[in-house]
Amino acid sequence: MVAPFAFSVGCGAGFAGDRIDPAVALARSGQVDAIGLECLAERTIVPAIRARAANPEAGADPRLRRRLTPLLPPARQNGCKIISNLGAANPPAAGRAIAALARELDCQGMRIAAVEGDDVTGLLNHIAWTEKLDGQLIGAHAYIGADALVGPLAEGADVVVCGRAADSALFAAPLLPHLDGSPDSLAAALTIGHLLECSGQLTGGNFEGPGEPPLTAEELANLGYPLAHVMADGSAELTILDGAPGRVDRMTCTVQLLYEVHDPAAYITPDAIVDFTTVRFQQIGRNRVRMTGPTHRGVPPTLKVSGFVARRGIIADIEIGFAGTGAYERTRRAADTLRLRLSDWPETNIRIDIVGVNSILGGASVPTNALPAEARLHVSAICTDEAHALIVEDEVYALTLSGPAAGAGVRSERRARIDTLTGFIPRELVKPTVHWSVA
Amino acid sequence: MKVFEIAAGRAGDKGDALDLTIVARDEAAYEVLERTLTADAVKAALDRVAPGPVTRYPVPGLLALKFVAPQALPGGVYASLHAGLHWQKAAIWVLLEMEVEGGLGSVCK
Repeated sequence: MVAPFAFSVGCGAGFAGDRIDPAVALARSGQVDAIGLECLAERTIVPAIRARAANPEAGADPRLRRRLTPLLPPARQNGCKIISNLGAANPPAAGRAIAALARELDCQGMRIAAVEGDDVTGLLNHIAWTEKLDGQLIGAHAYIGADALVGPLAEGADVVVCGRAADSALFAAPLLPHLDGSPDSLAAALTIGHLLECSGQLTGGNFEGPGEPPLTAEELANLGYPLAHVMADGSAELTILDGAPGRVDRMTCTVQLLYEVHDPAAYITPDAIVDFTTVRFQQIGRNRVRMTGPTHRGVPPTLKVSGFVARRGIIADIEIGFAGTGAYERTRRAADTLRLRLSDWPETNIRIDIVGVNSILGGASVPTNALPAEARLHVSAICTDEAHALIVEDEVYALTLSGPAAGAGVRSERRARIDTLTGFIPRELVKPTVHWSVA
Repeated sequence: MKVFEIAAGRAGDKGDALDLTIVARDEAAYEVLERTLTADAVKAALDRVAPGPVTRYPVPGLLALKFVAPQALPGGVYASLHAGLHWQKAAIWVLLEMEVEGGLGSVCK
């Protein structure tokens, strides 16, 4: 029996810096009716907000041209819709830039809808933050839902570009008009969106199965990104393009289904609360999994808001390496030397450890009997300002002259201290608007 | 036997919370993991790198266990003093390295 699929949607990007070619392969295949591009991580919007403040036409994803130049022509040729949050802090400017790019690419007539309204910085009095605002607020953006993206698609948009939206909404929106309209089909569309939104994480990336050979470097370098063939009731077949390397099975699907959802019985999105505990996966072919069963558990009264607060100070992150016989012992002695030099720093504001030993999992790292051939001393410190950061950087550099022998390969970076805040806003206060551009 | 011999996993985050998923390779493995990976056991394992309370969500229908540690990443991932960014993605190895009862081989094969 040939399954009567209502619609097919693929994922072409799972974060702002994701690979470009998998989306192009999906668009060329003719197997998907829409491609979602998730390009806006929680904090990715901070530089975008700052760019827009300096230039009213800036603030969209700086990779817009690189990502869409190879994608628009095959998408247009195959009638494949593009839905993306790469509008970041300036969806209308992104819409204009995409229309201009489409003209350059001889894609005249493409209709671009930019959805704006997630910026709730002007509605601060209505946001209930889960913790105290401590520092200068850079911006506050509500997560809009698929309901805000469906309208422009129905009105014939070839590309829908927005800023902050629930990641799953980018993939659910093009599906919804083709489903049966039941609450559980909405839940299923959002579930499919959640499964797709992290691109390669559904198809064998960032995954290792028990007792099985991992994907090879060649397979990972050419990893197929996921697509879903969806039935009217919302059940779906999750897969990759024929011939694309990857792994789609019960385990990769389950690990991604539960990724970052906290309570699996209550995945909260702007459009609905979804119960994942009723989902079932069934392997129906190689790299082909059937998904059924997500349950609609109501609509949240509020939308989640992400706020960003610039805190005073910066984090300095510095390393110095040691090699040769005795490298590990010299690295440890360098760490002890540095602890003595910086003994007046409050313990909570500084961390000293060894890359290759305990710089990632700290005290939970599993000790090994083999001594590393090379090791790097790492220090991160919370500094009040640039001058303060220079002090700790200089102390590490000084180890090259006054520390254990042959300290080498020094590197350092400084990171702004930006805290992410979560808040909630009554949904009726967030009113998305649409700006059209035509190529 | 270690958890990674019978399960796969992934770590994520949301704000201050660390979010860990473990998926068993089959029902026998799930039973062992469900018995062994209690919220207290996971809390004790995480204590040396990400201390704080742990809530467990068993999902038997998907042969999976979820663990959420709401205070494990104070200030969120960008406030971390670990080397580089996103150390928490490796935090799943704290669970994957935990010891579970052996002798599963004959049951699962």
